[in-house]
Amino acid sequence: MDRMEDKLDSLWAEYRQACPDPEPSPNFIPQVWQRIEARRRATSSLRHWAEACVVAALSLTLLIATFLIPRYQRQPVYQLTYADVLAEADSPDYTVIITGGDTRGDTR
Amino acid sequence: MAVLIEFELIERARGGDESAFNQVLQAYRKRILGTIARLIGKPEDVEDVGQEVFLRLYYSLDQLRTPEVFEPWLYRLTVNAAYDYLRRQRRRHESRMSDLSEQQVMMADASAGGKRSKEDADHTRVREQLQSLLDKVSTEDRVLLVLKEVEGLSLKELEKIYKVNENALKVRLFRARQRVLKAYESES
Repeated sequence: MDRMEDKLDSLWAEYRQACPDPEPSPNFIPQVWQRIEARRRATSSLRHWAEACVVAALSLTLLIATFLIPRYQRQPVYQLTYADVLAEADSPDYTVIITGGDTRGDTR
Repeated sequence: MAVLIEFELIERARGGDESAFNQVLQAYRKRILGTIARLIGKPEDVEDVGQEVFLRLYYSLDQLRTPEVFEPWLYRLTVNAAYDYLRRQRRRHESRMSDLSEQQVMMADASAGGKRSKEDADHTRVREQLQSLLDKVSTEDRVLLVLKEVEGLSLKELEKIYKVNENALKVRLFRARQRVLKAYESES
């Protein structure tokens, strides 16, 4: 086991020797700046898109609030109460309601 | 790790001074590329990963608390970029190998071996031996061991990179060493 550990230790050291720091290519730094610029452009165009979307959403909301909502706002379906409707129709049920259900007077 | 630049230069780069950042780039590129080369073991991809490290550095430099912690922080960015690369490679390698028959894999290996014959034979053998050994352990073990055993970082330096205490690091290192040793024994 110890022998294997020693061999492994020397393998690490040999590996360090076998992999010296590589010489960067002359394009290394310009390419880093190109990537930085590309990211900056992408971020900026994304920001423009986001801003445009926000402006469009706000305009649409304003348009809906100012023109479309009042235009399509309907009158309520029921303008009268149930009792009023019955009274208008002169229904016998109406009499039942006002007399508290006592309809004997009517039969006389 | 010896500090290669003045703290004042890091401060200026952090404040958005592009010429200062360029100087940081010039000072550290060789060291960072060397670390990446030993971490990933693929010379053809070293510059690509290195550029990714400096790109991340540029866009996160404003998050650096003080210039004193610049180097461990740069190492952390390097380690993270190497992790990302190694994980990507592992996934790609698995899918590529599953597409090829065993005979095709052997032929590909033999042809790659022929092309490498011009290189320094000893160095190539050592690199391949250690890379094949490291391929048998997890990416986390691989990176930790290379930083400790090959890069020669101290426990104190590793503590700053990994943001864990010394005891936890010792345990992780011990376990990683045991796993590599086991792989080494089964290989030899």
